[in-house]
Amino acid sequence: MWLPILGLLAGIILGFLFSVEIPLALVKYSAIAILAAMDTILGGVRAQLEGRFDLSIFVSGFFANTLFAALLTAIGDLLGVDIYLGAVIAFSIRIFGNVGFIRRDLLEDYWQSRQPVGSKEGLR
Amino acid sequence: MKVGESALRTVRIARWQLALALVFVVAGFLVVTQVRNELLIRQQLQVPSQRLEELAFVLREQERRREGLEQQIVALRDQVRAYEQGTVQGRTILAALGAQLEQLRLRAGLVAVAGPGLFVELKDSPAPLRPGDDPNTVIVHYTDLQAVTNELFASGAEALAINGERVVATTGLNCVGTTILCNLKRIAPPYRIEAVGPPDAMLAYVQRPGGALDALRAFGFPVKAVKAERLTVPAYRGSYRFTFAKPTP
Repeated sequence: MWLPILGLLAGIILGFLFSVEIPLALVKYSAIAILAAMDTILGGVRAQLEGRFDLSIFVSGFFANTLFAALLTAIGDLLGVDIYLGAVIAFSIRIFGNVGFIRRDLLEDYWQSRQPVGSKEGLR
Repeated sequence: MKVGESALRTVRIARWQLALALVFVVAGFLVVTQVRNELLIRQQLQVPSQRLEELAFVLREQERRREGLEQQIVALRDQVRAYEQGTVQGRTILAALGAQLEQLRLRAGLVAVAGPGLFVELKDSPAPLRPGDDPNTVIVHYTDLQAVTNELFASGAEALAINGERVVATTGLNCVGTTILCNLKRIAPPYRIEAVGPPDAMLAYVQRPGGALDALRAFGFPVKAVKAERLTVPAYRGSYRFTFAKPTP
């Protein structure tokens, strides 16, 4: 698990190194894109913990969700409808759900690792 | 070699870890950039980015209101200027009215005037009265005064006084016994008529053959008509009475 965290650190350091100034008008879009990115990442972590991680789905989902969220917000601004609110709620629900599943998976793994595989032995 | 192999084994990286790492790099970069921008906005504008739309709306509203107020200022300044002008004009109007009043007073004879004109003196005839003579032949009558006054006015006199009595529009000369009343005041010979006006014209007209002075001279009355550089005609000191005459609108 150390490489992803290293990657995260690298990303953070890069963010501090390169100060990219996002124009005021686009700040909203980048915010929603980050929310989509967080959702995708957590979904990927959950998929991995549940053993059904698919790299192509994960990577494609990451970029697709991020871009699509920003696009949806832009369309909403054009239409005059705050679609980004819906995106925020949707992604937040998914994030919370994924966090819950991750927590459950981690706990299951923990309890399973605590309990030996041959539980009968313990009973014995 | 074993060490190398075991090293490679320990450094075995799962594909998913690599993918996740790359994704985390991008995500970390994005998050940090976003947070930095947000903090910058908050620092510069003292307002979080979520409120930017609201603030833009408020700004437009305030700008519109300021435009309205500016127009109000222009209108109020115009009003002030109008009032100022009104005051100035008021003063001007007052001055104009005052000047008009002075003019009217002048025309009514309520103001003493001075200027070049003609001085005419009429005296009673020095011829001694013989018993049986009509005394009318040796005294100056009001008609004579009236004639001379009339001639002077006719030839351009602007202001006229007889023995210090200003002759105005309602001045009547009449005879009471042997005295002449002018402005209801008794005047006695010698009659000094001071007329302010064009001296040459008045003199020419008054001295013309067939005029009043000529007639008086013919009857032996000492008559003098002299041009003057500066004559002072006093103001009318009498009263005006308009019990019958009312102004018509």
